[in-house]
Amino acid sequence: MSRSHAGWIERAAEPLLRLPDGPAPLGLGKQLRRNGRLYVLGAVMLAFQQVLLARRDFLVKSAVDAISLARAEDAASGAVWILVVSVSSMVARLLSRMTVFGAGRNVEYELRSALLAHLHRLGPAFYRSNATGDIMSRATNDLQQVRLLLGFGLLNVVGSVLAIMSALYVMLELSWRLTLASLSTIPILFLVARSFSTQMFARTRKNQQALGAMSDRVLASLAGVRVVRSFAMEDQEIAAFDVQNRTYLEKSLGLARLRGSMGPVMGAVSAAGVLVVFWYGGVLLARGDIGTGDFVAFWLALLRITWPLMAVGFVAAIVQRGRAGYARIQSIFETAPDITSGGATAPARFRGELRVAGLTFRHGDRTILDDVRFEVKAGSSIAIVGRTGSGKSTLASLLPRLLPAPRGTVFLDGSDVCDFPVESVRARIGYAQQDAFLFSTTVAENIGYALDSAPDDDAILVAAAEEACVREDVARLPDGFDTVVGERGVQLSGGQKQRVALARALVREPDVLVLDDPLSAVDARTEAAILAAIERQAARRTVVLVTHRIAAARRCDQILVLDRGRVIERGTHDELMALGGVYALLAEAQRMDDDLAAMELAS
Amino acid sequence: MKGASPSAGKTTRAERALARFHEEEELERVYDLRLTGRLLPYIRPHRRLLVGSLVLLVVMSALSLVRPLIMRAALTQFQAPGGAERILRFGFALAGAIVLEQAIAFPQMVWMQTAGARAMADLRLAVFRFLHTRSLGFFDTRPIGRLVTRVTNDVDSISEMFGSGALNAVGDLVRLVAIVAIMLSLDAKMSLFAFVLVPPIALFVQVTRGRMRTAYRQVRSKTARMNAFLNEQVSGIAVVQAYARERRSQDEFDAINADYRTANMRAIVIEAAVDAAIEMIGSVCIASILWYAGARARSVGIGVPTIEFGTLFAFVAYIDMFFGPIRDLSARYTLVQSALSGAERIFQLLDSKEGDEPALAGASEEPGPDWPAGEEVAFELERVTFEYKPGVPVLHEVSIAARRGETIALVGPTGSGKSTIASLLLRLYAATEGEVRVFGRPVNALDRTRLRRQFAVVPQDVFLFPGSIASNVAGGAPDVDRGRVLEVLRSIGALELFEAREGGLDAAVAERGSNFSAGERQLIALARALYRDPNILVLDEPTATIDSDTERRLQAAMDAASKGRTALVIAHRLSTIRNASRIVVLPRGRVVETGSHDELIARDGVYARLYRLQDARRELERKVEAKLEELLGAEG
Repeated sequence: MSRSHAGWIERAAEPLLRLPDGPAPLGLGKQLRRNGRLYVLGAVMLAFQQVLLARRDFLVKSAVDAISLARAEDAASGAVWILVVSVSSMVARLLSRMTVFGAGRNVEYELRSALLAHLHRLGPAFYRSNATGDIMSRATNDLQQVRLLLGFGLLNVVGSVLAIMSALYVMLELSWRLTLASLSTIPILFLVARSFSTQMFARTRKNQQALGAMSDRVLASLAGVRVVRSFAMEDQEIAAFDVQNRTYLEKSLGLARLRGSMGPVMGAVSAAGVLVVFWYGGVLLARGDIGTGDFVAFWLALLRITWPLMAVGFVAAIVQRGRAGYARIQSIFETAPDITSGGATAPARFRGELRVAGLTFRHGDRTILDDVRFEVKAGSSIAIVGRTGSGKSTLASLLPRLLPAPRGTVFLDGSDVCDFPVESVRARIGYAQQDAFLFSTTVAENIGYALDSAPDDDAILVAAAEEACVREDVARLPDGFDTVVGERGVQLSGGQKQRVALARALVREPDVLVLDDPLSAVDARTEAAILAAIERQAARRTVVLVTHRIAAARRCDQILVLDRGRVIERGTHDELMALGGVYALLAEAQRMDDDLAAMELAS
Repeated sequence: MKGASPSAGKTTRAERALARFHEEEELERVYDLRLTGRLLPYIRPHRRLLVGSLVLLVVMSALSLVRPLIMRAALTQFQAPGGAERILRFGFALAGAIVLEQAIAFPQMVWMQTAGARAMADLRLAVFRFLHTRSLGFFDTRPIGRLVTRVTNDVDSISEMFGSGALNAVGDLVRLVAIVAIMLSLDAKMSLFAFVLVPPIALFVQVTRGRMRTAYRQVRSKTARMNAFLNEQVSGIAVVQAYARERRSQDEFDAINADYRTANMRAIVIEAAVDAAIEMIGSVCIASILWYAGARARSVGIGVPTIEFGTLFAFVAYIDMFFGPIRDLSARYTLVQSALSGAERIFQLLDSKEGDEPALAGASEEPGPDWPAGEEVAFELERVTFEYKPGVPVLHEVSIAARRGETIALVGPTGSGKSTIASLLLRLYAATEGEVRVFGRPVNALDRTRLRRQFAVVPQDVFLFPGSIASNVAGGAPDVDRGRVLEVLRSIGALELFEAREGGLDAAVAERGSNFSAGERQLIALARALYRDPNILVLDEPTATIDSDTERRLQAAMDAASKGRTALVIAHRLSTIRNASRIVVLPRGRVVETGSHDELIARDGVYARLYRLQDARRELERKVEAKLEELLGAEG
């Protein structure tokens, strides 16, 4: 029912408010020009509205005069005209808001879309140095400030300026002398408003900071609740919190006092203005320079000028905030992506022959990988083994260009991966990360993430789940494959998450499959089943398996042992065991660990 | 099985599940004003300010209504001779009324905000205090982030109600009634004429209000959806990039973004329409009374003023004053709703019955002031069984006793209930069966603060509070005994290590202590425990990898700390507990062996096997290190 009503307004306004074509420019000025059509229309509407309001004041004046002279017909027609003018003014006002706010929303839409597009292109280096919360704040709060500037703020400024002009026009028409007199207090009103708004802005920001500090304190207190209980520190914690609480209270009250004092100060200034008008107006009335109708109309016009004046004063803060907000968003746009696409067209499929030569990777002044070399024939498998911090995950991320691999280091089918577009490389080199991240959607959509469209036949998804040994688990969930896994997959256990992520990787049929530690959270029994599945995969494509589990590594065609970024041993499992080096020792250590674990469980 | 095949009723079920997840239904609720009743106990101590503010509000409303009357009187005086001087007098009256009104506005607003802010500070403290009287089980089932929101954001949304002047709606109502009364008294016929339009307006506002609420609800829901999507894109950017799903995610986002924009545009249109309509109605009222005035003039005849000019003017002014509050009503309503939703969440929390600290047996069993002097047995568990969840026993008929000065070590795999024993001693959880005694008293019969002061725990995962090293060692006590801090750190051999840091002992501790290594955090935790000088020390050995230097230091420190004190050590590395008075082996919550290290080795049971295996494992680790050194050279 409500849909149809709002619906027709939308349909009528659609051609007017449609988003402009072409790519979205970045920059406040550019966005302003881009929506120029809407802004101009809005300004015209505002001007029209003001003209009408001025007309109304005159009509009231003449109607009142007509009444005092008992000219009924004139009064009646005046009333009708006032009605007509009011309706027109309403339409103009409505249109002005729709156009200008609409333009503001357009800007918001385009900037937000462009922001995501740019974020997609940035690499791990950016995300390491920028917290998610901070990025989100820019996409929400800062963007909102920009929208307010190019929407509400602009409307206010243009509208207020026009209102002031129109009211002034009326006032001057009626009595330029009286206008001059009232001008004495008007600028003060404007300055006071501006001063208040800047102070309010600063005070509000301090308030927010105090709230944030208090929030952090509560978080620390609750996160360490075990310590608090064990040490019987409750009273202390409550006392410390109360201090923060009182501080915040004081800041809030300070803000309240500022807000409260605005009224009296403005009131005092207005009162002074009133006195002036009345005194001088009375003089003019007595002299016969103006009539009663004139005085009434003047009074109405003066009332009309007060609010716009203050609004213009407030706008200063909106402009400040909008520009600051845009600057923060712009800093993201200005971050250059460190992984760039090459121009060559990638073939539809690669054979899967992988070669790494002289790969050295640094982060700051730390060398993470040092001259790593290896070759993997198409369709064979390689295991990369090493302890924590050996650089194996970094190596895995470099292959599909998730980290900026230097030129001339990674070759696929003989061509440098840097030559191809990034998306093509990533589509053909499948990568499953160590810390399995799932999206807050259904299991089916997570597993089918790599697919271009939802498959008609879910056999693919079920098969992948089966391969990853997670199908039974999924069937046991409340909605099966349609179960929503929650934020980051919180509804699933660690092992289940990892297996769903594995299923996701298996769905894609890449030419090279890179798996980073896919077995860390699974128990021994499931591990064997998954390893069998990986072996089946290895038969169809090149597999790079990063692991610290010797049991997994031994099944691969060749093994690379990494420590502190250097390749220290390479060969097949048997060769390395016979060598009696680090690999052999690690194998023995793992066997002992497994024994220990079994022993502890058995006893 | 339901949903075993993904295509079964896919779209509807999945969509419903997703909608449920995004809490779209919750936004439909209209909150009960009865919730305001629950706020009263917090407002009551500040009621004088609030009542004063409301009284002033009424006075202010009355004053604002006086202004048109003054104008009216002034304009009537115009006609009389000598009007000019008297005009000025009215000017003063008017100016005076404005100043008085604003002078009253200041305390009115400030008192109301003060009452609100103070009441909310009290509420905030009450919620925080409530949280710190809950047992640990309470926190196991609730995400901390949500609890923090209750204390901060939700309370804040209630105080917005006071701060924004939503309660000024009271004054507005008074004003509306008064305006009608005054206008009727001035000129009844004309008033009726002016107000002929009120019923249709009321109807119009009622009709649009429902539509506005729907529009705002849509906006809120789309905003939440959009932010959640964006958040996920940022947190999961590695996956998005790895699967080359940027294009598809962008398309999906653009659709959501567009939805958001549409919802907002709809709200803009409705809001603007209502706004403009209400403003226009003011003009229509003016037009209608002018027409009426003209008609009346005609019926009487030329030259006879039938309406006083002043009255006409007053009417125009009152009509303007009438419609302002009506326009504001909608915004105020929204504010009250959001305040009430915050209130509901808070009271839901405060109402949760579960999670109270395990109850006391009876105050009569409280020991005297010099307890625990003279008690020989430090702590004792007698056939204790404990289940976290019913039917899942963690400890089964465990009996352990420790005399003063003894070191008891607990050995067993993770999840065997070792840490639980410490929790039971501190009465952080209650035993399902059996009795737990500390210094001869059942833990249920002791005041929990007094009980816990007997202990100091060095946990597996150390949590540090914001502050400095010194303040953490002092356990967050407001007055830090600096000398004691130094002494304690020296006794565990960690003084030079921390003093060498930038800032020394006053170095700031980052969130959760993340700017310290795991080993350093352990040392601080140990110092914290020793600062308390407890009768019983509980050491829960860390399983995380710590560099060998710090590990050695830590080991020596722990040995030194346990001397002369009763200690309970939860061990993972058997090499560290060789000197314990007694070792208790309890895989899967049952005690299988007890004795000293030598006794257990001789017995050649579980412990012996475990010990030998761990030893061999350590040896192997050393070999690996040596080999790596050989291959890579001595590099950092």
